[in-house]
Amino acid sequence: MACLPSDMPSIIIESKNNMAKAVSINELEKRYEDTVVLKDLSLEVPEGSIFGLIGPNGAGKSTLIGVLTGLLSYEGGSIEISGLELTPENELDIKRQISSVLQPPLLFEQFTSLEFIEYVCEIYEISKDGLIEKAYSLMDFFEIKDFAKIKVNKLSSGSRKKLAFVTAVLVEPKVMFLDEPFEAVDVISIERMKTVLRKLKAKGVTIIVTSHILEVVENLCDDIAILHDGLIIAYLDEISRRELQKDSSLHEIFEKYVEVEHKDDIVDWL
Amino acid sequence: MMMIGYIMFLGVMLVNLIGTAIVVVLMDTDPWMATQLPWLTPKVYSFILLVFANTYWVMHFSFTNLRLLNIEENRKLLGFGFPLKRLARYMIIISFCHPVNIIYNFTWLVFLMIQIDFWYQIPVAILGVILNYVLIYSIKHRFLQIIERRFIAVVVGFVILVFSLFQLVQMVSTENVRLLYRIVPRIETINAFLGWMPGGLLTKAANLDYGLVNASIYAALMAILIGLIIVDHFNKTCDGLHRPALKKVEEVSSQLWKVLQRILGNNAGKYYYYVMIHPYNKLQLLTLAIIPIVYVPLLLNVNYEIAQTIAIPTILAGIPVALLAMGMANMYGYENRELLLHLQFPVKLEKQLKERFLGVIILPLLVFYLITILEIVFIPQIGRPLNIFVGNTFMFLCFMLLFIWSSYYQYQKAVYSSFSYKHPIISQKVTFAISFTIFTVGYMVFVPLNGLEWYRITIMSVVIGIIGIYLWGHMDVLVNLFKKRILIRIWSDL
Repeated sequence: MACLPSDMPSIIIESKNNMAKAVSINELEKRYEDTVVLKDLSLEVPEGSIFGLIGPNGAGKSTLIGVLTGLLSYEGGSIEISGLELTPENELDIKRQISSVLQPPLLFEQFTSLEFIEYVCEIYEISKDGLIEKAYSLMDFFEIKDFAKIKVNKLSSGSRKKLAFVTAVLVEPKVMFLDEPFEAVDVISIERMKTVLRKLKAKGVTIIVTSHILEVVENLCDDIAILHDGLIIAYLDEISRRELQKDSSLHEIFEKYVEVEHKDDIVDWL
Repeated sequence: MMMIGYIMFLGVMLVNLIGTAIVVVLMDTDPWMATQLPWLTPKVYSFILLVFANTYWVMHFSFTNLRLLNIEENRKLLGFGFPLKRLARYMIIISFCHPVNIIYNFTWLVFLMIQIDFWYQIPVAILGVILNYVLIYSIKHRFLQIIERRFIAVVVGFVILVFSLFQLVQMVSTENVRLLYRIVPRIETINAFLGWMPGGLLTKAANLDYGLVNASIYAALMAILIGLIIVDHFNKTCDGLHRPALKKVEEVSSQLWKVLQRILGNNAGKYYYYVMIHPYNKLQLLTLAIIPIVYVPLLLNVNYEIAQTIAIPTILAGIPVALLAMGMANMYGYENRELLLHLQFPVKLEKQLKERFLGVIILPLLVFYLITILEIVFIPQIGRPLNIFVGNTFMFLCFMLLFIWSSYYQYQKAVYSSFSYKHPIISQKVTFAISFTIFTVGYMVFVPLNGLEWYRITIMSVVIGIIGIYLWGHMDVLVNLFKKRILIRIWSDL
C-alpha cells in the first residue's frame, strides 16, 4: 500500500483471509522494457465473488488481466489461480478453468457468430448436447440472435462485446476475467449482463471485472480494488465499503484515493 | 531505403517510357535506320506508331492509380468540419498527383509534342491528354466496382485475355517475317482501325493537319467534355464521401471453412481458411496461374536450349515457393489480435504453431510434387529427374527457412490492399528480395554443368539435410521467438 491520502483509511486484505481464494497474486511485477507497469502488486480474490478492479486510464488494469489470462509474461512475483500456481506445467489446467472478455474483445473476424461460439466451445471440450440451444438462448437474451449467421466483422462494437461475453459464459469457466465488459453496450444489455454474472456467482464462479462505470461496479461487485500507477492503493471489501460509503459515493472515494488533481483552471480559457 | 527504392523504380519507369516513345517517334528520321530497316515504309512506320500508342494506352489504363482517392479514410475529415466540396476537390487533385499518373501523362505529352508540326496542335494535344486521363479515371472508378461484384468472371476473362495475348506475341515473335508480309498489303486498313482506337486518336491530335478552325472546334469540345467529366466525378466523390456505402450484412455459411476444419483440424484449418479467403491472395493465385500457362509454352517454343533448361524449371520451382510465401512470409499477419484468444485456449502454443506450420506447407508441397512429376514426365528435355527433384527440394526448403524468419521479423497486419505499395501483406523488403532471389537461386540450381553436375547435387543434398534437421529441431526456438517478437506487438496492436 503506497501513498495513501492521510485522511483515508489504509484498507487491507486480511479481513478475508479465512476464505478460499480464486486468485492470489503475490508481489507481481510487470515491465514493458524499462517501464514498470505493475509494481509489487499483491491481491487476493475470494472464490465465488464478483470482484471489481477500478483505476484511471493507464493504471495497469488491462495489463493485469493480460498477465492473469496468460497472455503476458511477468518479471517477478507469483500468481495462483484456482489453487494452481501459474507455471508452464499448470498453464493448460488453469486455462481450462478460465475465460475472458478483453478490451477490445477478441473474436474471429471471418467466422459467423455461431461458428465462433462452436469453435471456442469445441476447443474447451464443452459437450455438444444442448450447446446450440444454450448459445441461441443467450444470444436471444442479449438481442444478438439475428446475427448468429452474420460474419463477426460486420457486427457493431456493442454486439461484438456481447458475443465475446456470451462465448466466455458458454465455456463454463470457474474464473472469468472481464476487461471493461460494459463499454459500448446498451443500458438494457448491461442490466442483463449483471443478471448473468449474478447467476454465475451463485453457481460459484469467480468474476473479476474492470470498468470505468463506477455505478455498475458499485452495484455489482462484492469487493473492489483501486489500481493506480501499477499499485493496488485500496482494497474495499463489503465492510469497509459500507463504512466509507456512509458519507460518500464510490466516485468520491475513488477520487480521494487516486488523489485526482482538479485541473479545471487549466481550461479557464474555454 | 524503401523510399529510395521506390524513387529509383519510378525513375527507371519514366526513362524507359519516354525513351521508348522517343525512339518510336524518331525511328524514321534517322538515315541509319533507313539503311538498316528497308521495310520501314511510311505505312509500316504509322503502323508501329499506332501500335505503340494503343499499347501504351492499355498500359496507362491498367496502371492509372486511384489509391489516393481513399474515401473511407478521407471521410473522417468531414467529422472535423472539413468542407465537403473542398475535400472532394483536393482528393481529385491529389489522385492526379500520384507519381504513376504523372509519369504516364507526362510521357503522353512528350510522345505527342515531338510529333507536332503546327502550333494549333499543341492545345488540342494537351487537352487530348487531359481528356484521356479524366476518361480513364472515370471509367476505372466504375470498373473497379464491377470487379468487386464479378470477381470470378473478371478473373477468368483476364486469364483468357492474357493467355491469348501472349500466344499472339509468341506467334509474332517466331514467324515475324511471314506475318509482316501478310500484314503489309492490309496495313492501311489496320492503320485506319488503330487510328480510331484511344491511342490512335491521341496520336492524330499531334500529327494530323486538321487546320486552325477544326483545331478550335476540337479544343472547345474537349474542354467542355473535360469540364463535364470532372463535374460528374466531383459530384460522385461528394456523394461517396457523404453517403458511406452500407456494409452488406447478410447471412453466410462457408463450406470452405467446414471442409478445411475437417481436413486440417481447428487450428491449421482456421489459419488456412483465413489465407484462402484473403482478397490479396486470390490475386496472387491468379498471377501464379497465369505465369506457367503463358510462359512455359512460350519458352518451349524458343529455339535456345539454355533458356529451356534454366528458365522453365526456375519458373516452375518458383510457383510452390510463391504459394509458400503467400501463407508463410507474414504468417501471423492474417489473424493479428485473434491470436491472443488462441493463446488463451487450453492448447499448448507449440502445438498451435506446429499445426499452423504444417497446414501452411500442405498446399505448396502438393503443388511442388505435382510440378516435379509433370516436369519429369512431360518435359524431360529440361533435365534429369534427380537433378530436377533435388533442385526443386533445395529451392523449396531454402525459401521455407527464409519465410519462417520473415514471419517473425516482418510481422505486420495483413489488411486488404491488392498490390499496395504502402500496406502490402508481405513487406516490400521481403517481396523484392523473394522475386530477386528466386531467379538468382534458380540460375544457380538449374544452369547445366554437364560433367560437374554431381558436385552441385551433393552440395544441395547436404544443405537440404541441414535445413531439414534445423527445422525439425527448432520449433521451441520458434515458440520463444513468437513470444518475444510477435506477442507484444499484437497485444498493443489495437
